[in-house]
Amino acid sequence: MSNKSALTIEEIGVDFSGFKAVDGVSMVVEEGELRVLLGANGAGKTTLMDLVSGKTKSTQGRVFVEDTEITNREEHEIARAGIGRKFQIPSVFRDLTVRRNLEVASCLTPGVFANLGFGFPAEDRDRVDEALELAGLREQAGRRAGELSHGQTQWLELAMLIVQNRKIILLDEPTAGMTQAETFKTSQIINGLKGRHTLVVVEHDMAFVREIAEKITVLHLGKVLAEGRIHDIERNEEVRRAYLGSKGIA
Amino acid sequence: MTLPRSVTIAAYASFVAALMLLPLVVSDPFWLNRFAKYCVYGILGVSIALSWGYAGVLNLGQGLFFGLGAYMIAMSLKLASATSLQQGSTTPLPDFMLWNSEPGAVTDLCCINKGSFLWIPFQWQWFGVAMGLALPTLVAGILGAVIFRKRIAGVFVSIITLALVLLVRLVLIDAQPITNGFNGLTDLGWFTVAGFEFDPYVTPTYYLVAVSLSVVLIGARLLVETRAGLILQAIRDDENRARYLGFDVPAYQIFFFCVSALIAGFAGMLYVLAAEFASPTFMDLTFSITMVVWAAVGGRSSILGACIGAMLINTIEASMSESATFMEAWKVVIGLMFILVVLYLPRGIAGVVKDGIGRLLGRRAVAAAPVVAAGE
Ligand SMILES: Nc1ncnc2c1ncn2[C@@H]1O[C@H](COP(=O)(O)OP(=O)(O)OP(=O)(O)O)[C@@H](O)[C@H]1O
Ligand SMILES: [Mg+2]
Repeated sequence: MSNKSALTIEEIGVDFSGFKAVDGVSMVVEEGELRVLLGANGAGKTTLMDLVSGKTKSTQGRVFVEDTEITNREEHEIARAGIGRKFQIPSVFRDLTVRRNLEVASCLTPGVFANLGFGFPAEDRDRVDEALELAGLREQAGRRAGELSHGQTQWLELAMLIVQNRKIILLDEPTAGMTQAETFKTSQIINGLKGRHTLVVVEHDMAFVREIAEKITVLHLGKVLAEGRIHDIERNEEVRRAYLGSKGIA
Repeated sequence: MTLPRSVTIAAYASFVAALMLLPLVVSDPFWLNRFAKYCVYGILGVSIALSWGYAGVLNLGQGLFFGLGAYMIAMSLKLASATSLQQGSTTPLPDFMLWNSEPGAVTDLCCINKGSFLWIPFQWQWFGVAMGLALPTLVAGILGAVIFRKRIAGVFVSIITLALVLLVRLVLIDAQPITNGFNGLTDLGWFTVAGFEFDPYVTPTYYLVAVSLSVVLIGARLLVETRAGLILQAIRDDENRARYLGFDVPAYQIFFFCVSALIAGFAGMLYVLAAEFASPTFMDLTFSITMVVWAAVGGRSSILGACIGAMLINTIEASMSESATFMEAWKVVIGLMFILVVLYLPRGIAGVVKDGIGRLLGRRAVAAAPVVAAGE
């Protein structure tokens, strides 16, 4: 694996009229790395993703995709610069079929006039089929996305990101509300993305984190509390006190 | 559930065929003219389905675009009327400008009143046609740019469009010297192409409107089948998701808002050809809301459904209008129908029909190949 940085965050922060939800976070995620963001409720994990993906405008700091600065650009420009994002509350196109959802995602020429034609090129259709396979949604391809189960909806959103094939993928609690079996399947999908994409994953489920994690960044009250391999984090006294609490990480 | 393509094509084809064959059944020029007007309403239904059903933008001021289209062509046809040509001036002159002119004013379009010069280019009928298409599109472009770039959505778009149509209506009435105010533009000439005059009460005029409707209907349907149309529906479902997939959401919304306005403006022009007047009532709130009711009853997420809804409601209304009591009752029926449809049939008549056909086909598929049905 190369040591080129895919995502560089420098002293990023946002001030919600006095309250700093994220306060000077710096982080370098290398190409192909899978980084887990850990932190108690309200630590600022989602807000950090909002800052990277353009949903929230930062009041300090900078963000780079490789060498391109994307700080406070429009959401669609940031997406095109190479960042795909999955939301904490799964969001898909509910009235379109599963396949249609993926076709929309497969369309990488974003202009209106460029899209006044019919159908999708064969290579896009192949990517859609691949993603359907990877997310285990082949049987559901013709169903309306709104009819999917919670787990399937999450996988569909993941599949959309797979089809998009962006360099960097941000996942906000991809296993929230899933059963154990669903969580396991999700970890398999995410493991399948390792190496091909640079991933940043917010997760609470420690079993899941152990399944996928390489390097972990712990946020606390909007700041980086610790960063390191899972063993180091599990032993870190500060992290135990701040986040893992008395029940420990085991 | 989505129906097989062949069913959709068959539905469109039979509708267009019915439009084309209608004059064989209806020979009364009065009724043919009425049907031409209903075809215009059908076009309006298409424009509403496009913006409401496919873009998720409930425009309560579609009458603005209809009215703009209507006035642009009506200005040209007004100047082409016999009365305007016989005012004894070098340029044709609308009669109402003369009636209201200051004593001693120069009786010429250039300067009979302060705004009359605006009418000068409308002496060329095709200028009126071009403006009838361009002006609604342009206004929609500007309005859309403001609304969608500012990420105004949902009911706020409806309120803004509603306010705007009322505002323009007031301005239109207020600009009496050049618009004839409340009275609108009447006593118009006929639309003329290469020497042929489109008398509103002859079959060719019906065909002009019916063919226009067919073209708009099929064009709109093809448009929503394009990749851009699919992305538009995605944006309707979840604007944010589309944004983070890299789509410039406002660009799509503005584009389709403009197309919808263009279609409504076109409908306005055709209406003037068939009805021989343009009036501020086109910009009445009730008219804009009525269009929405047609589309809701027909099925807002179906282009053909909204179109048929518009035509059907008007046909029923006309056949009842003979009696005044029926008319009053009809208003209640329409209101009730709207409420019921919104509450219980969000996909309108089109939804019911689609489900019915789907079930029929499904049952047949089960009988033919149980395995396929199970895999669905
Ligand atoms: N737009 C906003 N205005 C004001 N405060 C905000 C805003 N967005 C987030 N916050 C606050 O910032 C803090 C961090 O929120 P964030 O959603 O990033 O936490 P999180 O780490 O994702 O938590 P969770 O695990 O519950 O998802 C919270 O206290 C939240 O209330
Ligand atoms: Mg969160």
